[in-house]
Amino acid sequence: FSWSSLGLAFHRTHLISSLLCLESIILSIYIALSIWPIKNQTSATLMQILILAFSACEASAGLAILIASTQTHVSDHLRNLNLLQC
Amino acid sequence: FILMLSLTLGTMITITSNHWVTAWAGLEINTLAIIPLISKSHHPRAIEAATKYFLTQATASALMLFSSMTNAWSSGQWDITQLTNPPSCLLLTAAIAIKLGLTPFHFWFPEVLQGSSLTTALLLSTAMKFPPTTILLLTSHSLNPTLLSTMAIMSIALGGWMGLNQTQTRKILAFSSISHLGWMTTIITYNPKLTLLTFYLYSLMTTSIFLSMNSTNTLKLSTLMTSWTKAPMLNTTLMLTLLSLAGLPPLTGFLPKWLIIQELTKQEMTTTATIISMLSLLGLFFYLRLTYCSTITLPPNSSNKMKQWSIKKPVNTLTPTL
Repeated sequence: FSWSSLGLAFHRTHLISSLLCLESIILSIYIALSIWPIKNQTSATLMQILILAFSACEASAGLAILIASTQTHVSDHLRNLNLLQC
Repeated sequence: FILMLSLTLGTMITITSNHWVTAWAGLEINTLAIIPLISKSHHPRAIEAATKYFLTQATASALMLFSSMTNAWSSGQWDITQLTNPPSCLLLTAAIAIKLGLTPFHFWFPEVLQGSSLTTALLLSTAMKFPPTTILLLTSHSLNPTLLSTMAIMSIALGGWMGLNQTQTRKILAFSSISHLGWMTTIITYNPKLTLLTFYLYSLMTTSIFLSMNSTNTLKLSTLMTSWTKAPMLNTTLMLTLLSLAGLPPLTGFLPKWLIIQELTKQEMTTTATIISMLSLLGLFFYLRLTYCSTITLPPNSSNKMKQWSIKKPVNTLTPTL
């Protein structure tokens, strides 16, 4: 998890890599949650399915935003996102 | 229509949740519903605002899920009100600070507000702040007070300072909301009801300002100066609500500040109280500048022409008198 969050924080040029890191964060949470019932002898499968469903929705929304940003900006380099001056 | 419904659904889910996964699900529904609202117009600025918003909110949700999971690993249960693991508390405060836009995680907020239209900006700054504040309220007894108060003081300071050089009204309102959120988080560990009160009053005042700016379509300070020709009554009420946001005594906005300072001095934190009241002077400067620009200045060719606007906002005459 910490590797993925570090990768998300330090993404350099492509938006796609940040989306990938987001997905790997959620995947690591999912794997950890799958290990938990084996350790504690409880069942948490409903939570797992919910988390999977919502993370899939988030990933698709992120991809849609990526497509929209490549339509309006020229590429998906992060240096292009400076239209809103601070 | 559907997006508004899903927004209210997500908020309701998060408010009425006692399990971490339901809270996370409600927050994700909110994020998903607002993203198409932000990027409705295919303007590059709007899409860029949508990307920034999505990235920050998604990371914050993932962080929240991770903190709840570490808490569950160490304590064995997924209740919201019982946070026993200190590092998961820390992660949770960081995640909620990212979601709300507290310092040091406030960098997305002005740009996102700038890139979205006025009504979606309104939604972003009032309705989207509500679920994370409820989560903060639910977990406020087990959070770290020093961390929260340092973040709050920094956000009040930054909200005041960075708002000084701005000419776009949406960015100004973004910084004002950052500082108001700072005020809200100073009191959350001592008296959570005051936080709620501050939030309600702040959302009322910001809705009235956003709606009045929406009806006169003022996006810049220069547009504000000529808005008195369009609807003079609305302009005076806008001035009153702006001053109320600043927290001047006879108006409603002073009430949360007064109560917060009273509560802080009861808890023997007088240095914090003096610091935040000094820092709210910075915000007062640009509120005063906004009111000055909107009421006192005259346009170059002073023609008292009344332009017709199809949107009537009679609600705003009531809110300053509350």
